Amino acid sequence: RALCPLVPSAPAALRALPPPVAVGVLHTTRPLHTTQQSLAPVPPLPEKGGEVRHGVIPEEFFQFLYPKTGVTGPYMLGTGLLLYLLSKEIYVVNHETVAAACILTVIVYGVKKFGADVAAFADKLNEEKMATALAMKNGAIQTLQTAIEEEKKEQWRVEGRNYLFDAKRNNIAMLLEANYRERLLMVYNEVKKRLDYQVAMQTLKRQKEQDYMIQWVEKNVVQSITPQQQKESIAKCILDLKALSKTAHAAV
Amino acid sequence: MNLSFFDQFSSPSLMGIPLVLISMMFPALLLSPTNNRWITDRTSTLQLWFVNLVTKQLMLPLDKKGHKWALILTSLMVFLLLINLLGLLPYTFTPTTQLSMNLALAFPLWLATLLIGLRNKPSASLAHLLPEGTPTPLIPALILIETTSLLIRPLALGVRLTANLTAGHLLIQLVSTATIALSSTMPAVSILTLLILFMLTILEVAVAMIQAYVFVLLLSLYLQENI
Repeated sequence: RALCPLVPSAPAALRALPPPVAVGVLHTTRPLHTTQQSLAPVPPLPEKGGEVRHGVIPEEFFQFLYPKTGVTGPYMLGTGLLLYLLSKEIYVVNHETVAAACILTVIVYGVKKFGADVAAFADKLNEEKMATALAMKNGAIQTLQTAIEEEKKEQWRVEGRNYLFDAKRNNIAMLLEANYRERLLMVYNEVKKRLDYQVAMQTLKRQKEQDYMIQWVEKNVVQSITPQQQKESIAKCILDLKALSKTAHAAV
Repeated sequence: MNLSFFDQFSSPSLMGIPLVLISMMFPALLLSPTNNRWITDRTSTLQLWFVNLVTKQLMLPLDKKGHKWALILTSLMVFLLLINLLGLLPYTFTPTTQLSMNLALAFPLWLATLLIGLRNKPSASLAHLLPEGTPTPLIPALILIETTSLLIRPLALGVRLTANLTAGHLLIQLVSTATIALSSTMPAVSILTLLILFMLTILEVAVAMIQAYVFVLLLSLYLQENI
């Protein structure tokens, strides 16, 4: 079987040939084959192994004897057989019996203690194999889905290009407007400066004229005061003050 | 059924037909067949894992040319392991207790490594006869000693395996005979002997596995020197 793994159902003579020859011969015998040619898909492995009782005796044996002998039948058979062999000395108890007991104890102990762990280890190996393959598959699916989403997003972005252009256009319009207003302001400020200068000049001139007039009036008044008028006014002021002081004393 | 202690080592025959070939081929029946599944059942998975482990361990120190020996060394390992372990069951014949078989395995393989070394790099393989840094007066004696140790290698390989297994089986038989003989007169000592037999059985299981491994390891070492 190991020589030609092509078709398990091929006749033995065909399988005995080396693979290149077997393949060639296979084509000529193809119309004579009655089973499927392809090797895949292989039938799935059964979920559980065969049921055994006490680790070595298949459950089917117990089921086979159940209709005739009931539940205890096989055990009676086993015990009877053992006792028959021992009592008739068909099986002689010798040193090998003791050695057999020892090695069987070691084997049973080993299987009971490590059996579940070994089975779990084998399952873990298979699980890891499947997990790596699944991880690769899922990783590829994930990458492709992310790529799809990215593509959809890009398409949505493309739809929004009108908004982008409008926004740009608005920006530029605002810039132009702002620039225009700046320049208006500058013009206004410059004109105001020049007008303020003229106004200031006029106020200054009027101020100067006023001051000069006041000065001239004062000068003339001071010149017109005679010494006689001065003495009379001073005496009157003193009399007024005395009268005021009298009223002030009365008030206090 | 066995009259003496050495009947277990005699080559089995049924009415004059020698069965030794069948007993050597039998362990192969216990290995699960190769199937073209990706996820295999538990026994196949464990077997594949074990074979991968053994092959990797054996081939790690070897370079690419030595990888040609992968198949024969791994299959030799599995063969010896199964034969040794099956021999521990009662009333079984262990082919590896026969010096003829072990020498037949050891001698050709050792000779193959030697000839490969002599053919591909003769001066290097002859240089192995003199360890580095020996003082000059010792050189002639040392070369003689190293040549003797080289030529005795196949004998050592074969005899090591034979002696270990034969001694183990004989000891098991002797101690179990003692257990039975003492059970009628001094049952307490018989229990003690039974305990010793338990330990011995566990030791024999270990020895069976170790001897197979040592055989193959030494062969791979000889190959390393000469490849």
